[in-house]
Amino acid sequence: MATEASRDVVFRGVTKRYDDGTLAVAALDLTVDAGEFLVLLGPSGCGKSTTLRMLAGLEEITEGEIRIGGAKVNDLPPGARGLGMVFQSYALYPHMTVAENLSFGLRMARRGDRLEAREIAARVDEAVDMLGLAPELEKKPRDLSGGQRQRVAIGRALVRRPKVLLMDEPLSNLDAKLRGQMRIELRRLHEQHGTTTIYVTHDQVEAMTLADRIAILDGGRLQQHATPLTAYHRPANAFVASFLGTPPMNLIDGTVRDGQFVAGDLAFALPEHLNVADGPCTFGIRPEEVAVVDTGGIAAKVVGIERLGGESVYHLAVGGHSIKALWRREDIAAPGVDLAVDSAVVFAGTAGSDVCVISD
Amino acid sequence: MNASADSYGDIAIRWYRPVAVTFLRRWLPCAVIVNLLVLGGEWIRENDAGTMLASSGVAMLITLSVLILGSEALPAQLRRVYWLATLAVSLSATAIGVVSLLESSLSLYDFFSRGWLIGPAGLSLYWLLSREVRVWFAGKVDGEIAAAGLARHRRLAPRLESFGTHLLLWHAAALVVVPVVWIVDVALSPGNALGGAIGDAFTLEHFERLIVGESFWLWTRNSLTVATGTTVLGLAFAIPAGYAFSRFKFSGRSQAMFAVLLVQMFPGVIILVPYFMVMKTLGLLNTSIGLILAYSVTALPLCVWMLKGFFDTVPRELEEAALLDGCTQVQVFRRIVLPLSLPAVAVTALFSFLAAWNEFLLALVFNTSNEQYTLPVGLASMIPANGQRWGDFAAASILVSIPVVVLFVLFQKPLVQGLSFGGVKG
Repeated sequence: MATEASRDVVFRGVTKRYDDGTLAVAALDLTVDAGEFLVLLGPSGCGKSTTLRMLAGLEEITEGEIRIGGAKVNDLPPGARGLGMVFQSYALYPHMTVAENLSFGLRMARRGDRLEAREIAARVDEAVDMLGLAPELEKKPRDLSGGQRQRVAIGRALVRRPKVLLMDEPLSNLDAKLRGQMRIELRRLHEQHGTTTIYVTHDQVEAMTLADRIAILDGGRLQQHATPLTAYHRPANAFVASFLGTPPMNLIDGTVRDGQFVAGDLAFALPEHLNVADGPCTFGIRPEEVAVVDTGGIAAKVVGIERLGGESVYHLAVGGHSIKALWRREDIAAPGVDLAVDSAVVFAGTAGSDVCVISD
Repeated sequence: MNASADSYGDIAIRWYRPVAVTFLRRWLPCAVIVNLLVLGGEWIRENDAGTMLASSGVAMLITLSVLILGSEALPAQLRRVYWLATLAVSLSATAIGVVSLLESSLSLYDFFSRGWLIGPAGLSLYWLLSREVRVWFAGKVDGEIAAAGLARHRRLAPRLESFGTHLLLWHAAALVVVPVVWIVDVALSPGNALGGAIGDAFTLEHFERLIVGESFWLWTRNSLTVATGTTVLGLAFAIPAGYAFSRFKFSGRSQAMFAVLLVQMFPGVIILVPYFMVMKTLGLLNTSIGLILAYSVTALPLCVWMLKGFFDTVPRELEEAALLDGCTQVQVFRRIVLPLSLPAVAVTALFSFLAAWNEFLLALVFNTSNEQYTLPVGLASMIPANGQRWGDFAAASILVSIPVVVLFVLFQKPLVQGLSFGGVKG
């Protein structure tokens, strides 16, 4: 696995503003380490694809700079940036066979950089072996299954030995079962070739399972850049908290007064180590952290139950607020619950735009 | 009978209508329309007896359709009378048809036109006498009859439908084939007169005269030069222009596209005189180049729009993938977009070739010497005001159409593909 620091990708103050004035990406600062698998995650319209396309050279950069391997690439044409890209629709050349698709990039290299035919064939063979495409080489893309097309698209991006591999929602055209298989396979491939990878998706499961680190975007702004588990357990703000997890984190807007969290009829003491200053804040707790207790809990009423088989989502009414709890037991009626204040997060300032305070 | 069978009978009664009635309702209006056309023909030919018979036939058919349409939910006491009336109308329609057939000269057309009266009326007569329809008119339908009738309907409807479809297709085919048969007959008949029965005489003299003579080959060469030149020149401009309109944003893009379309809106005749003056000034009258230029300009708007439409369907991601694979913009076009667009290019080429091949007015005005005539102009010169050479003309027009037919057969696949578009998606 390559580790030279020179292979990093750096976004510095990158902004994208479209002609009609829409701000797609706002002053993005982001670094990707060599060999890292970074997932850009966010809802549609959050700027994640635009970020990727700016890196690929398919979109102009309005402000800021992008560096690949230490060199500024703002003004380089896409082909000169040393990238491989996998598109959502695969974008395989329909009039070429699999073999021709795979070798197209190598054949199109500029005269001085072009490899010998023998070397091109060797590279294609290597990719074919890695992806198990040998029986498909002479077929046209339309004769391949979705998974095979996906593999060819990855192979085409990899044969050029790109400095960075870009993937734009590569699994969203596959059915659920195949998507699960390809997730595992993508991770395995990444460990095999070790290419720095930037992967765009709106699917949090893909992000959690594939990423070394996740960069969560919303409204063109970076919300959090952390490992998947950090982002899950210590979300930087209410947006991240509500975007990750199924069902998402329960969020209750309220105020802190003298170490007491108050939101309408609901009031309980926050432990001292949370160290929250008085004022408006958002209290957040994961559904699986809500527990049933015999004493010392808060009265709750079960409003509805979604049985998922292994576990059930309980919709609870707690002091005028509705929260969800994820429990394995299916026979819980209307207990008092412990909101597990110890493992909750509290975002100072409502709407969760600022720093969060996290329990320890 | 148990409860569920009872209710099935009720449902069946509600939905039941004899298959014969269903199809008479559908077919009789068609027969009325055809008979109206026949009536129009008789009237234009001022054939008084024919007009009389045809109009009474039409009247009977209309009455019959109305009666059949109204056959549902009759008051009980009227039923028998209603059925008898319907029977009488269809009987007299059939009779009128037979009489007018016997009155006619028994030509193919007479059989066709009277057939459209005798056929439907006779069929109604036959069906009205069938037990199923008699029961229906008498209002004596019970659950069992209705259930059997529904089953019968399901069995027979597809067959009757396919009969109707075939009848329609035969008429459509005849519409295309009859004129061709006619002109082939003229071309193969001795002498230069029109008329005479089809296939009454046979000669190849007209073809021989054309093939031996020089003019026809000269005209063919001119037409080929002009049509090929137009296609090549037109596409050379239309392909890049269509691609630019499809993919690039530049100032004046939408105005330019509209302007291209605007040119299309002027009738060709309006620019005939200016065209002539320009060509005269440039010394391009009586040259193939003059025609090629004029045709290319005329064909361009359509070609540009057709190609733009196709380029629009080539996914942008393909081009982006090629850019990342290191292609320049020109390579993207040549390696990816153009190969994918070949069907559309072929179709566009075919259209501009045919437009140039068939064009008459400009070719007539620009070319004054027999040396420079294209085929349409040359053909027209065979039918001057006096002494028309219909036989030669027919033979020549057959020869002229052959390349067109060949091209269409060759381009059949890309034509269908190119016209339905979207063939790109893998």
